[in-house]
Amino acid sequence: MKASDLVYETVSALRANRVRSLLTILGVVIGISAVIAMTALIGGIKMSLVGEMGLSQARLVTVNYWGERKIYMNDLEAMAKDLSDDYETILPMATTSTNVNSATKGLQGSIYGTKPAYFEVMNLNIVQGQCFTEEDYEDGDQLVLLDELGAKNLFGSEAANAVGKTLRIGSSEYRIVGVVEKSGGDRGNESVNVYMPFTTLSQRITASNSIETVFAMARSEEDMDGVATRTKQWFIKRLSLTDEMADNDLWVTTSKSIIDELNTMMSSFQALMTVVASVSLVVGGIGIMNMMLTNVTERIREIGLRKALGARARDITRQFLLESIFLTLSGGIIGIVVGYFGSYGIAGLVVNALNMTSGSSVTPVLDLQTMLLVTGICIAIGVVFGYYPARQAAKLDPVESLHYQ
Amino acid sequence: MAIGYNRTTPAPTGGQVLGAHPAPSTSSTPVIDVRNVFRIYESAAGYFTALRGVSLQVMRGEFLCIMGPSGSGKSTLMNTLGCLDTPTSGTYLLEGLDVSTLSDDELAELRATRLGFVFQSFNLLPRATVLRNVMLPLTYTDIPKSERTKRAVRALTSVGLPPEYFDHYSNELSGGQMQRVAIARALVNDPAVILADEPTGNLDSATGEMVLKTFVRLREAGKTIVLITHDPEVCEWGDRTMHIRDGCLLSDEEERAVVEAHGGTGRGRT
Ligand SMILES: Nc1ncnc2c1ncn2[C@@H]1O[C@H](COP(=O)(O)OP(=O)(O)OP(=O)(O)O)[C@@H](O)[C@H]1O
Ligand SMILES: [Mg+2]
Repeated sequence: MKASDLVYETVSALRANRVRSLLTILGVVIGISAVIAMTALIGGIKMSLVGEMGLSQARLVTVNYWGERKIYMNDLEAMAKDLSDDYETILPMATTSTNVNSATKGLQGSIYGTKPAYFEVMNLNIVQGQCFTEEDYEDGDQLVLLDELGAKNLFGSEAANAVGKTLRIGSSEYRIVGVVEKSGGDRGNESVNVYMPFTTLSQRITASNSIETVFAMARSEEDMDGVATRTKQWFIKRLSLTDEMADNDLWVTTSKSIIDELNTMMSSFQALMTVVASVSLVVGGIGIMNMMLTNVTERIREIGLRKALGARARDITRQFLLESIFLTLSGGIIGIVVGYFGSYGIAGLVVNALNMTSGSSVTPVLDLQTMLLVTGICIAIGVVFGYYPARQAAKLDPVESLHYQ
Repeated sequence: MAIGYNRTTPAPTGGQVLGAHPAPSTSSTPVIDVRNVFRIYESAAGYFTALRGVSLQVMRGEFLCIMGPSGSGKSTLMNTLGCLDTPTSGTYLLEGLDVSTLSDDELAELRATRLGFVFQSFNLLPRATVLRNVMLPLTYTDIPKSERTKRAVRALTSVGLPPEYFDHYSNELSGGQMQRVAIARALVNDPAVILADEPTGNLDSATGEMVLKTFVRLREAGKTIVLITHDPEVCEWGDRTMHIRDGCLLSDEEERAVVEAHGGTGRGRT
């Protein structure tokens, strides 16, 4: 029997039983759409988290220390020297929160003190004006950058001309030299992010030289775990930490470790969903087997006729096997479509639930590999649950089948 | 009762296109050559011998009718001739080929290429068109698709079904039309023999006559036909009639002798 004949027979047989076929594949549709929705969603979440952190951030190491002995600039200089094989850039960061006033408006502001390289490391584009320079940093000049949203909050319609204006923080005045692109999630319209040289912050606002966070850019993303370990070791030695202090107060994180953590979390979720999906696929498969057995019984005379007209046992097996494969396969395809579009619906909920920043939405990601895998699983279900009924059909005796009432 | 042994009947007379279809061996070889065939059914009730040493030769181009009462073994014989059932003992040569040596797949191939069936209950696929139904046996052969439609149309034309019905669904036809479609289906693979089991059994006499005329036309075109019936009138359309009683095959003369011996109890069960 030619392949095209088989396909024709299959399609016309299933079309004759349209409603029953649709109901039967429902189990498979549900199972597959659950798997697809979940996979697309997880892919989307990963994608948007990675995208948010920026590509360069695969090389970023963040060090936080909350202990008694603070970190100072001379520590960073020593670190830059000792770990020069590992890092190309090392940045200090200190933050505080205080009132920020324009000529017309006062807002609660988050003040970040750092070095000019910060924007490059964090992948933040400067959309207006420019950054303060290394020299400004050395001198502790009163120059600041605002974030886009903050500029809008402070200046309203004048936001586009923010550069050159003056801000007052505490008793000092600061000149705005640039605006960086929107960063961070939806903070509402009552706040502003202000970036200034670390030196300016420590001399003029916090009156403290200590560094809260160290951002360090590794030379390569090859051995981030090694880099993180060496960095931790270095800080333990430098700060003379006990094991307990190191465990409690020192955090060395890489974006890779964040992604790893995420992966672990996602894969346990994925395992759970896989169990749920497998159960529904097995139930769906049994439904298909049931339908195929009914099908064979209903078509005993047809089978007898086909055998009398020259069909071999394997022609009959193929015909019925193809029918069940066709059922599971179309269930799978419908499931892929339903699952993919369903995941868009769930994506909105997930963004809220995970409290994801950057205001970015999660776009479900479905790769070809997953689709091929799902298609393969569907074919396998069709074969496994269709084989028995197909063999039953093929084994029928033509004489008896022709007389079956 | 004596075992009905049938002496070989000479080739049928008059108007036949003998050898219109080239035989694998010489034209004097019978298309069907059954020798001393037994068929014993095994069931919960015990053994039942449905064919008792049946021997039968059918020549190319012959229209043979086999007549017998219900339960006499007609269908059993037909299934044996059609390679749907294998004899318990005895040999069956189809076009000189010993069928008992063949595997299931080879038997299926034989049915697909050398045999055509016509059933009492038509057995058409209701959700397929007339043309599709006729092409069905060809899907189990190597005949290319382009050739299939041509053959089906030719077969339908030769049974006299008007072309406007070709695209109808088979359940939209009358009984007589359905049976003619079924005959076309039996013809389409150009078989050595057309086997018909009670082809007029479900039809009224006028429609049945139309179907029988179709068979006569096919015989005139050189087809070999074996037709089974319990109706003596049907037998008059054939070249030759054989009788079957309790699994034994009798010629006309032997049948008459048996009837006389039983005091004219005719065709009732003995
Ligand atoms: N599968 C079977 N198992 C047991 N006995 C069978 C089987 N098939 C047929 N028989 C018996 O063999 C005998 C002949 O059956 P067959 O079907 O050949 O009769 P028939 O001449 O075709 O009758 P009818 O005219 O009613 O169709 C019957 O007595 C029947 O009971
Ligand atoms: Mg019968």
